[in-house]
Amino acid sequence: MIDFGSFRAASCSGKTRRSFLKTSSIVPFALGAGLPSLQAVEQARQKAKAKSVILLWLWGGPSHIDMVDPKPDAAMEYRGPFGTIATKTPGMHYTELLPRMAARSDKYCVIRSMQTTDSGHPGAGTIGVTGFKESPGPVQPNFGAIIAKHRGQDELATTPSSSLPPFFYVGRGIPRDLPRRIEGYGGGTLGKAYDPFLVSCSDRGEVGIPTLKMLPNMSPKRISNRKDLLSELDVEQHRLEKNLLGQWGHTYQSAFDLLTDAKARDAFDLTKESPKTRRSYGHTTFGQGCLLARRLAQAGVPYIQVNWSEYVETFTPNGDFGWDTHIYNFELLQDRHCPIFDRAFSTLLDDLDDRGMLEETLLVAMGEFGRTPQISNRAAREHWQHCYFSLWAGAGIEPGRCIGQSDSKGEHPVTRPITPLMAGTTIAELAGVGAQQRAEMKVLDGGSLIDELL
Amino acid sequence: MNCCKHWINPIIVCAGMILSVSGFACGADPQQLTDDGANKRDPIFVEEGKSLIYCYDETPDFVRMMKMNMETLEIVEMFEDAGNHHHYEPAFSADGRYTCYTECTGNLTARLVIRDLQNEKPAAFITHSGRGGTRNPIFTPDSKTVIYAFAETGPQQLWSCNLEGKNKKQMTHSQGITNWPTVTPDGKRVIFSNSRENNYEIYSMNLDGTDEKRLTTNRLMDVRPAVSPDGKRIAFVSTRDGNYDIYVMNIDGSNVHRITTSEERDDYPRWHPNSQQIVFVGEREGEFNLYLLDIADDISVAAK
Repeated sequence: MIDFGSFRAASCSGKTRRSFLKTSSIVPFALGAGLPSLQAVEQARQKAKAKSVILLWLWGGPSHIDMVDPKPDAAMEYRGPFGTIATKTPGMHYTELLPRMAARSDKYCVIRSMQTTDSGHPGAGTIGVTGFKESPGPVQPNFGAIIAKHRGQDELATTPSSSLPPFFYVGRGIPRDLPRRIEGYGGGTLGKAYDPFLVSCSDRGEVGIPTLKMLPNMSPKRISNRKDLLSELDVEQHRLEKNLLGQWGHTYQSAFDLLTDAKARDAFDLTKESPKTRRSYGHTTFGQGCLLARRLAQAGVPYIQVNWSEYVETFTPNGDFGWDTHIYNFELLQDRHCPIFDRAFSTLLDDLDDRGMLEETLLVAMGEFGRTPQISNRAAREHWQHCYFSLWAGAGIEPGRCIGQSDSKGEHPVTRPITPLMAGTTIAELAGVGAQQRAEMKVLDGGSLIDELL
Repeated sequence: MNCCKHWINPIIVCAGMILSVSGFACGADPQQLTDDGANKRDPIFVEEGKSLIYCYDETPDFVRMMKMNMETLEIVEMFEDAGNHHHYEPAFSADGRYTCYTECTGNLTARLVIRDLQNEKPAAFITHSGRGGTRNPIFTPDSKTVIYAFAETGPQQLWSCNLEGKNKKQMTHSQGITNWPTVTPDGKRVIFSNSRENNYEIYSMNLDGTDEKRLTTNRLMDVRPAVSPDGKRIAFVSTRDGNYDIYVMNIDGSNVHRITTSEERDDYPRWHPNSQQIVFVGEREGEFNLYLLDIADDISVAAK
């Protein structure tokens, strides 16, 4: 993905006239082994109410022990420095870093028995958002791409014009660590047409479309129609390599559609919210990104992934403070990460609920893995793929439950491990992509539902 | 400015009970010093209270150290040579000549910088191999020693070094995480937090590690202690009443009282040189700004 440019959506003007998705071919039906029982599928489908999915992607690997799965009775070298507080869920405690979330635990479910199979960020990141390893390829589609394709087909059958892309990334860029980005960020085997559309959001709520930065003279006011746009492109083409422009064409087309689409502009314009609502999310990039996600869901976007950060590293030059807390784990969770997350997640949950959107919106929060239960010799925590957490709300999920259990040190699940493939399958199912559709698309093969959640 | 409603008045209702007040907990409404709302941390007065140093998120990927003139409220960059290195946790020697701070230097790596503000000679550094970083450096009152927190090979401890970053000595040998050192004005005792009792508590000990005393007893965190310049009181942060708030207690740990009551976060308290005011970072309606709060001598608002 190319990361260029920004503009203030609040000042956009123009008209919409194009749809985003093109018709795609239907993969022949092929029901795979390992799929859930028909009864389970039918039951899940009956509860499939998610018109939109919002995934809060906690990139870097948040520490489960220091957040929602504390181990106050474990030995000193495991339990960490934080006290615990009761939640609204009987018998369930969090650390003192998440008071708002603790006070709302009756509105969502916690899974404490997540497990993945890769201990590196890009690899685990791809598994986390596709359900499968990066290699051997081909790279499988992001959960959002699956839902984008499914919805695109549905909506093209009934609505000839769809103005907003069906799959958004809200954040600074494609999630990456210093060496490289994750492979599973986009369409995968479904094709680049189902890559996410990236929008950024500043701590002041200014929404940017990085795709457009390559046109320095471009502004919503200046570019009011396609003729002007093409004229600008002609100028800029001289300074661009052809292959770059070619790769960029599809995304660019979408960007133009958004720029000239009143509905899209409205979705991006956080100034349409009351100051109280904007402030309630917190003036942080993640907080305002969550508010943007809610607006996109309100506008009917099927899948929005809000990326906590672009980089995993929690403390590095030019890094944007991911959850990869190899150093300063306890300080940064206390000072920065947990206060921001506690506020944004809680506000988003309340906002969806207050607006009556929660029944038709699936809200999920998770990272690619957890962190070592044993504190490192640098007084921090390393990667831990054997046990971590996820949070689930809305879309008919019965809230207020703690699902799964980890052992006394938080090292391994003592109940059935829940995998990213299961998470993706459940997300798809709740979003209306049933077993048959998944098989037709040849995605999430072998994935089973998180029965405990449904 | 709309921050009056969050502050303690002579009679306070909290958690369904009226808290006793003798004297006047706070003076005038706190003075809001900034209005940009960006994420902030680590305020500290310098130059006898004429300037205030703090760090803030200039962008999502850069934490810069700033200097505010307390008369004009003009704000300038502290160091123009920061490059792309996050700067945290500044401290200044009593004579004003030296500063030390935490500097992010690479991937998951930070070092302690000790810098002579009067001479152009190269700064001294405390570095280490591999990932990791020092935390929360301070100077002793004689301006000859720096005390900081670091996990050398295990639990995070307090260490000391001279102004050249040499003669490193381990000051504590505790289980758990040790952090946030602050030294009494007479230079005899260091106050800090440690987590060995299942959560952060505040302790006091002689600089040679003897005569340790526990000052707080609470099942939730008591962190970021700051000794007042007159040596009589300690300001600190606790979540004991439901979120991050600022408390003050006597130097021996007695007479704990809460001085902020916002439902949002109040953090990073530091004393004005007059020992009568505290600057802190307050989150109000999602925005982070610096506030200056007057503190009278005889506060006795009950706290958990």
